[in-house]
Amino acid sequence: MKGFWRSGDPFVWLTGAALAFALLMVFGLVGLVLVHGLGFFWPRDVARVTLVGGGAVVGEIVEREPIPGPLSPGAPRPFRVKVKQGNRDVVGADFVWIDESRIASVDRPAGLVVVERREWGNAYGTIRDVREGARVVAAGEEAALAALAGRLPAALALAREIRRIERDEVGRINYEQERIRLRLRRLELRGMREGPQVEALRAELAGLQSRYDARVRELDALKARQTGTLTLVIADGRTMAIPLAQIVRVSRPNAVGLAGRAGLYAARVWEFVAGDPREANTEGGVFPAIFGTVMMVMLMSLAVTPFGVLAAFYLREYAHQGPLVSTVRIAVNNLAGVPSIVFGVFGLGFFVYFVGGAIDRAFFPEALPTPTFGTGGILWASLTLALLTVPVVIVATEEGLAAIPRSLREGSLALGATRLETTIRVVLPAVLPSILTGLILAMARAAGEVAPLMLTGVVKLAPALPVDGFPPYVHLERKFMHLGFHIYDVGFQSPNVDAARPMVFATTLLLLGIVLVLNLVAIALRNRLRRKYAASAV
Amino acid sequence: MLEPGGPLGGVRLADRSRASLGRRRRLDRVARRVVALGGVLVITSILAILFVIAAEVVPLVQPPFAGPRAKVRVPLSMPPLAVGVDEYRELVYLVTARGVSVVRAVDGAVLRAVSLDGLGAARIVATSALGRGPFGVGLSDGRVIPVEVRFNVRFQDGRRVNEAELVAGTPIDASVGRSLRHLAYAVTPRGPLVVAVTGPRELTVAGVRESRPLAGPSRREAVRATAALRVDGEVTQVVMDGRGDYAYAGTSAGEVVSVALADPSAPVQRGIVAAGGSSVSISALGLLLGDRTLLVGDAAGGVSTWLILPDVEPAGLLRAHVYAPHTGPVVAFAPSRRDKGFLSVDASGGVHVNYATTGRTLLVLRAGIEGAGAMTYAPKADGFLIAGPHGQLQDWDLHNPHPQVTLRTLFGKVLYEGYREPAYVWQSTGGTDDFEEKLSLTPLVFGTLKGTFYALLVAVPLAILGALYASQFMHPTLRGIVKPVVEIMAALPSVVLGFLAGLWLAPMLARVVPGVFLMPVFIPLCVLAALLLWRWVPARVRRRLRPGTEVALLLPVVCLGGWLALRAGSAVEAALLGGDYHAWLLRTLGITYDQRNSLVVGFAMGFAVIPIIFTISEDALSSVPPSLAAGSLALGATRWQTALRVVLPTASPGIFSAVMIGFGRAVGETMIVLMATGNTPVMDWSIFNGFRALSANVAVELPEAPVGQTLYRVLFLAALLLFALTFVVNTAAEIVRLRLRRRYQTL
Repeated sequence: MKGFWRSGDPFVWLTGAALAFALLMVFGLVGLVLVHGLGFFWPRDVARVTLVGGGAVVGEIVEREPIPGPLSPGAPRPFRVKVKQGNRDVVGADFVWIDESRIASVDRPAGLVVVERREWGNAYGTIRDVREGARVVAAGEEAALAALAGRLPAALALAREIRRIERDEVGRINYEQERIRLRLRRLELRGMREGPQVEALRAELAGLQSRYDARVRELDALKARQTGTLTLVIADGRTMAIPLAQIVRVSRPNAVGLAGRAGLYAARVWEFVAGDPREANTEGGVFPAIFGTVMMVMLMSLAVTPFGVLAAFYLREYAHQGPLVSTVRIAVNNLAGVPSIVFGVFGLGFFVYFVGGAIDRAFFPEALPTPTFGTGGILWASLTLALLTVPVVIVATEEGLAAIPRSLREGSLALGATRLETTIRVVLPAVLPSILTGLILAMARAAGEVAPLMLTGVVKLAPALPVDGFPPYVHLERKFMHLGFHIYDVGFQSPNVDAARPMVFATTLLLLGIVLVLNLVAIALRNRLRRKYAASAV
Repeated sequence: MLEPGGPLGGVRLADRSRASLGRRRRLDRVARRVVALGGVLVITSILAILFVIAAEVVPLVQPPFAGPRAKVRVPLSMPPLAVGVDEYRELVYLVTARGVSVVRAVDGAVLRAVSLDGLGAARIVATSALGRGPFGVGLSDGRVIPVEVRFNVRFQDGRRVNEAELVAGTPIDASVGRSLRHLAYAVTPRGPLVVAVTGPRELTVAGVRESRPLAGPSRREAVRATAALRVDGEVTQVVMDGRGDYAYAGTSAGEVVSVALADPSAPVQRGIVAAGGSSVSISALGLLLGDRTLLVGDAAGGVSTWLILPDVEPAGLLRAHVYAPHTGPVVAFAPSRRDKGFLSVDASGGVHVNYATTGRTLLVLRAGIEGAGAMTYAPKADGFLIAGPHGQLQDWDLHNPHPQVTLRTLFGKVLYEGYREPAYVWQSTGGTDDFEEKLSLTPLVFGTLKGTFYALLVAVPLAILGALYASQFMHPTLRGIVKPVVEIMAALPSVVLGFLAGLWLAPMLARVVPGVFLMPVFIPLCVLAALLLWRWVPARVRRRLRPGTEVALLLPVVCLGGWLALRAGSAVEAALLGGDYHAWLLRTLGITYDQRNSLVVGFAMGFAVIPIIFTISEDALSSVPPSLAAGSLALGATRWQTALRVVLPTASPGIFSAVMIGFGRAVGETMIVLMATGNTPVMDWSIFNGFRALSANVAVELPEAPVGQTLYRVLFLAALLLFALTFVVNTAAEIVRLRLRRRYQTL
């Protein structure tokens, strides 16, 4: 036993255990997000839970846990299950906990359907009939399903058309009206209250109003055609009429096989990635958040690359290497360790209120007191994050510059090239991969950062994307949605956290995927670079 | 040294190429300047962050200042009893014995002089405190007329037109023919109420009591009662709170007595406190905005504030602060209508600007009006007016935007309204306008440090031991895999960690807390047991595991240990903790269990900090010159002895700097603490309670804070603190690291 301790192996194993524990934490976390995030889209069985003493609950069984509280000695700990029963508009709550002791039986009849709706979440039940107005078109399960297959695509197309008119055409008219109103206001600020210019604008406004009225009439006519409904019998025997226009998808998970489920799975993943959010972000897709994240990161890259590279070149190639430059270098390094929220505070105080306020007073006085640039927006968020990540680019570029052999530069200079020519033709190509590494790391950091965005322009639900079909097409002053903020907002600010949690896991998976891929690319790139320099240094 | 761009020997250059050379050189020079300028610009703008944030904080500490805006003389035949002003400070009204005069503020011209309806032959002898809607004017015949001056502002052709309107209510007969000396008036929820001083030791309560039965019309019933006060001196002043619960009277013997008015028809004297030092007559009383603080001024110039706490004996008053004394008797108070500030004026026209939360006198001014008795704070708290007995009227500008901020209110204990004793409190917004801002950063700093402490408690042992293993014992191939994994761990967005901590870990942890506490015991035991078992394995099998790959074997062992700990945890809970550790904690230790607590934060933030500490420590450990370790091993030390006695001490500065940088990261972490704690700014070290950190507080409150206001600037100060803290810590760590690197070079 003495030899056991003296060999030192126990301690080595203990340190190894610490590392193993840390690794397990990483794998556990990634695995957890993978399972929950990918599992969210998988169509689960719909169960009918028959209760002791009558009554039933229909829905997906999502969780099973021991019931907390003191135990009576000798008895096993009782369990309970959580059932997603849906039908929120009729029964009130999406989820219900059922003690297992109250369950008489659980079965999975093939006739149970899941209706994904635009509002009120999922509906579960059995199909009774399909109606057109008050007229029953098809009664009975199979006939109704067949009728649905014929009618649902048309109904969905109609709903899409209505949304398109609402968003694109009416949206365009609203946009034009707002623009003319601002131009009138601008003229008024200049002291012009009447005159040909004002008259022309007013006439234009009147024309827009009549176009608007026409569109509204058209919409009314279209809406009047939405008369189809689906009648569902839910668990407690009540019936529920769902307008076809409200339906996203009708499926019978218990009746379809693996291939059918895979199809459903793919459709739901696509909806998540490419669709608009519904129900205060707790359902539907996250496309605007993906778009906002990507665009913000792009804008940030545009800002951070030239400045970071310029600063690195200055520090390493042009500045006199002395104590001052070392101090600056330490300061820049340390800036990478300054909390991101501090950058957010700076962005709010400087970009939003100071710069943005000045821009508003100079160029958008007609909109005041409503701020245009003097409030958070995608431009300010990108610039704030650029400042946050500029040390990353500087450090990476400097490392690359330091690794370039001196002989390379001297060779170029000896051939008569000027310093600028050497820098552009010789140094820059050699350091480009390092710059890229730094940029990718910066993008990864920016994509995952949330705290500074909360102060500089992220919102839970943006009415419009920062890029659209209205001139000037790119709206840098607009607020935007972001995957990371989406996680925070839906997970913590949403009124229905239980229903939203699986969705947040999916968003988390998406964000994690983006960040991890960017990081892995950067790591791979850096390793290749190191090998290259290691080879060329010989 | 080569001359860049210089002509090459032996080559004759044509004119054109010479011109091109000149252009190239010029271009080079321009480029050099552009790069230098750009570089310096980028670096200064990065460093400017500190200055921009500091610039928002500076106004917090700038001293207030005041100066006269207008000094005019109003043609009045009688001295004004009270003065009021509109929020634009355009129109002033003065109450004199004969009525109310509306005066233009800039030149003192009388716009209107209104005699009150029903004044008759009587004169106005006293008024109640102005500035909160209707006030009462007391007449020489004992009646009190409720009066309200309303300012009607409209816009005509883009210009503001401001008009004063006088509304007089139904008179209340307070003392039946006898003249009043002083009075207080309030429109209480039960109806208007007057408390008047009708004799040397006599208070009269009079008013209308409105009762609204569930059915039928409301009933109005006149009430009147007198109370003979059992006091030594004569009553000199009286005030009443806006709800009509209590009246406070000051006497010539320096007493302040409180009278309960719960039943206005039977007022009850409560207790007496000696407010004026050594029985100096009380010469002025007032109530601060919100009616939770009583202002007391005496004939010797003393000013003090008293918190109104009904359950404090004897009078429901607790002395809060004593202010800089006046040189003469205090004659009037003017409370601010925006915050907890108030003005006090003495008989010789000296004005003090005070603030009740801090207990400080901010400004001492001289208006130079002898016998000034009427004063008012401007509604926007941006100035004040003071009127003298001969129609002198002075309008002062007052710039005092952040009176509630001092070093003590930011970091020390403060006695707030409604509190029995000084406390550290952060509570920036309240339900009502008269809320007292409580901006102590101490609970937030405490929260930040608490979160950091628990995070480091989890992270430091795991990261340093892991780094020791990775750098000293691990097989290089394996290390090539593990290091990128740890780097990936560093790149995980904190919002992901926060989400998992708050919504997955917190509820899960709440079920298995006893097991989690057993883990540090069970996992090492399992590892040791596994090693013992391993030694029994035949050497032939054992040799196939190359040294440095034990970690692969340990992964399942650690899993097993964790699982055993959780099983043992529920056994312990069932056997020793009565089957429910929440109840046990509360019963035995008096601790409540919050679901989102410091334990959760410890794990989540520990997770974020581990890779940083690991990477830097590993770096420091593996760059210890190999000759040192080789020497030690050659002398017969085991690899553990070498690692512990040779490598670790050599690299200790690097490990120290790793911990410092980890500390810096944990201090500034925002999303994890925001999502994984309850964000309640409490101060206790319990691992089962939450906290509120500086960073999370900034993230939550700054978007709502009005620009330029005190809260906004205090939040900038919080950001500045975070910046300074992390910058100092990181710089220290960086310097330690650089010195270590130099030491390695010499070894």
